[in-house]
Amino acid sequence: MSDYQYDNQTVKGFIVSSIFWGVVGILVGLLISVQMWKPEMNFPPLFTFGRLRTVHTNILAFGLGVGAIFGLSYYILMRLVKRPLLFPKLARVQLYLFNVGILLGGVTLLLGMTQSLEYAEFEWPIDIAIVILWVMFAVNVFGTIIKRREEQMYISLWYIIATVIAVAVLYIVNNLSIPASLTKSYHLFAGVNSANVEWWYGHNAVGFVFTTPILAMFYYFLPKSTGIPIFSHRLSIIAFWSLVFAYLWTGAHHLIYTPLPDWIQTLGIVFTLFLIAPSWGSVINGYYTVGSDWSKMQTNYLTKFFLMGITFYGLQTVQGPTQGLRVVSQLIHYTDWVPGHVHMGTMGWVTMTTAASIYYVIPKIYNTEIYSEKVANIHFWFVLIGQLLFSITMWITGIQQGALWKAVNPDGSLKYTFLETLTRNYPFWQMRTVAGLIFTVGMLFFIYNVYMTMRKGKALASTTA
Amino acid sequence: MAGDLYRKPIMFAVVATVVILIGTVATMFYPMLTAEMHPKLENLKPFTALQLAGRDIYQREGCVNCHTQTVRPLKTEVLRYGEYSKAGEFAYDRPFLWGSKRTGPDLARVGGKYPDAWHYRHMENPQSMFAQSNMPAYAFLKEAKLDAAETEAHMKALSFPYQKEEIDALGAKTEMDAVVAYLQVIGTAVKKAVAPAEAQAGGIKGSHIPNPLAGKAEAIARGKELYSRDCASCHGADAKGSIGPSLVDDEFLYIKGDLPDDDYFEVVNNGTTEGFIEDGRAEKGGMPPFKDSLQKDDIWSIVSYLRSLKGR
Amino acid sequence: MEEDLDNIEAFEAKDTGRKLPVGWLILFWGLIIWGVYYLVSYTPSISGWSQSKAYEDSVRK
Repeated sequence: MSDYQYDNQTVKGFIVSSIFWGVVGILVGLLISVQMWKPEMNFPPLFTFGRLRTVHTNILAFGLGVGAIFGLSYYILMRLVKRPLLFPKLARVQLYLFNVGILLGGVTLLLGMTQSLEYAEFEWPIDIAIVILWVMFAVNVFGTIIKRREEQMYISLWYIIATVIAVAVLYIVNNLSIPASLTKSYHLFAGVNSANVEWWYGHNAVGFVFTTPILAMFYYFLPKSTGIPIFSHRLSIIAFWSLVFAYLWTGAHHLIYTPLPDWIQTLGIVFTLFLIAPSWGSVINGYYTVGSDWSKMQTNYLTKFFLMGITFYGLQTVQGPTQGLRVVSQLIHYTDWVPGHVHMGTMGWVTMTTAASIYYVIPKIYNTEIYSEKVANIHFWFVLIGQLLFSITMWITGIQQGALWKAVNPDGSLKYTFLETLTRNYPFWQMRTVAGLIFTVGMLFFIYNVYMTMRKGKALASTTA
Repeated sequence: MAGDLYRKPIMFAVVATVVILIGTVATMFYPMLTAEMHPKLENLKPFTALQLAGRDIYQREGCVNCHTQTVRPLKTEVLRYGEYSKAGEFAYDRPFLWGSKRTGPDLARVGGKYPDAWHYRHMENPQSMFAQSNMPAYAFLKEAKLDAAETEAHMKALSFPYQKEEIDALGAKTEMDAVVAYLQVIGTAVKKAVAPAEAQAGGIKGSHIPNPLAGKAEAIARGKELYSRDCASCHGADAKGSIGPSLVDDEFLYIKGDLPDDDYFEVVNNGTTEGFIEDGRAEKGGMPPFKDSLQKDDIWSIVSYLRSLKGR
Repeated sequence: MEEDLDNIEAFEAKDTGRKLPVGWLILFWGLIIWGVYYLVSYTPSISGWSQSKAYEDSVRK
């Protein structure tokens, strides 16, 4: 049993680390949201929008996202295979290396060391560290599964395995580069080909960092916290395989109307639209599961987190594919609509589901109850309102921008200069900062609640010992 | 049988890998083996040492986070930015810098659009030219010297040809010089269609057409408004010249003596192209065309306003 | 201390485990059929459509 105790410490380490990086990433996000409408808030050379935007996305994707994925995947894994991690010390080393890696990653981005590939900006030495981290993760995941004490692998394990494999392939291929020095490299692929590789990676990073591992959490923690089994095993199977099959074809929807060959764009659009089906397979499965006993919405405070999370996943996976259509892409691509879309996914689906999973795990590790359900409810409403305000504001801005860029006078000349289309965004961007603040306050309630639960747990442990 | 898959992790992992690789091969690896993914325009040249140094700084500062570098084949987009992007323009771009968000305008056709002086002033203090712009100021690039050895290593890594003198010359250059050199080469491999010779105003060569809005108070007021929006950043708020020449002196296209209104119209409409002869006077280039963002009446109004400043 | 290890049976509903909702099946097959249509219509080597031709058309109008 002490093995579990040791492994729980590692799980906890990852959770706490991910929350820490989450705070850093969100604060940077707030600053850059102000820079959008107040250029004096840029402090060159280090703290300009151009550098900080990359810090924001990478710290949140790799620090908050991947950190939580490591910790919660290990938690889920051990319980589903009924044994501790096969290499607990390796996992502990992984935890330290993870934090060093994210710190170095953030600092190097601030210093302007970047590959300029979205979500793969880290320069090659950091890339190598990330690959090593991922191999450590893979070794523990596969080792522990192979030595498992429960024969059947539950859905969450499928998603974890798919994540491990896909991220490895994606990350290694897209980060192949020609190093020119320790701090600078050039993409191995050039021009159109570089674009195609990058967005094959970029979109699937969304798929296999912000979707599959979060679905692993959803499929595990929803039944655990409600006590209701997943509605349809068969639907889970079909949704899983069609999701992991279709995702890899879709990257080109980021390159609609670029010089990328038309046929690749078209294939990308077709598979992107198809993704609605597997995504909604999970949404429907979630809804029917809770639907068998709606009273859980009132009796279990976590149910609404998961249901709201999967609802945003559902909205996200209809909106996203629609954006891929040429006629829609024409209007909204390159506008603020897209960050609006991304933030619904990250703030609505990923953070909501991850936070609820952490609420479930922390009291279990400390063998206690959550500090305050009331605080959790306040957290819920703040992040929900903050996120909705954020996304809706950005959608309106995006449509307006797209329409103004296209507007022409009767004689065919353009109606607005670029600057005119820009200045009309300022009130919306100010609103976005407010929305971000509301969301941040919600996250502070979350952190407070987690912290107090841990304190309560520690006090409990010392009295029993 | 199929149920067994969920009891055999290694088998499961193998199947999952294959399923993941199908789309990967079809849309990513296979195209890489075909010529259509490696096109190159005939007159596309590798970056010079100074341009590459500029591109490195463009990457370092994250310009790609706010500026795209690809013009889509859409009517209004071509109007706003110019010829739509061709696959063969990017053969030396490692990585591509097409971007995904236009907080600022697209830069795919910025090369040669403005004179160097425009960029120096704009990069140093964007708000001095566009008061409401949200672009950060990059004045510090003016103070930073280039590292010649570093750039040489980068040129070698990319196998770009260069002369030793080119590298030696870098030592005297600033990061700002490099960025401007890079901006000025972006998108220039596509030959620009030469502006149509005459008659954009609707007249016939040799015969001048009068300004339909000459002297009208309303047009002068409108012209003044448009002037401060579109022209003042280069020609000065008082039109006495700055990056562009003075518009109130007695020269036009660098030669003493005035020209009729429709020559003014054409310069605003089409911009200037080095060597192009406008009513007997050679242009030096540097003025961007305004035909896509201004209506005919707008341009005539600006001409009326300029006339009112000159008092003739 | 006791660890709460999981029984996989608790995760999967017995009575509805093999159900595929009809609406979802319609969505699934509908998207595949639409996909075939779209692929045929917008692949240059099949339909002759291309984005540069579409642009030329829009300018001529």
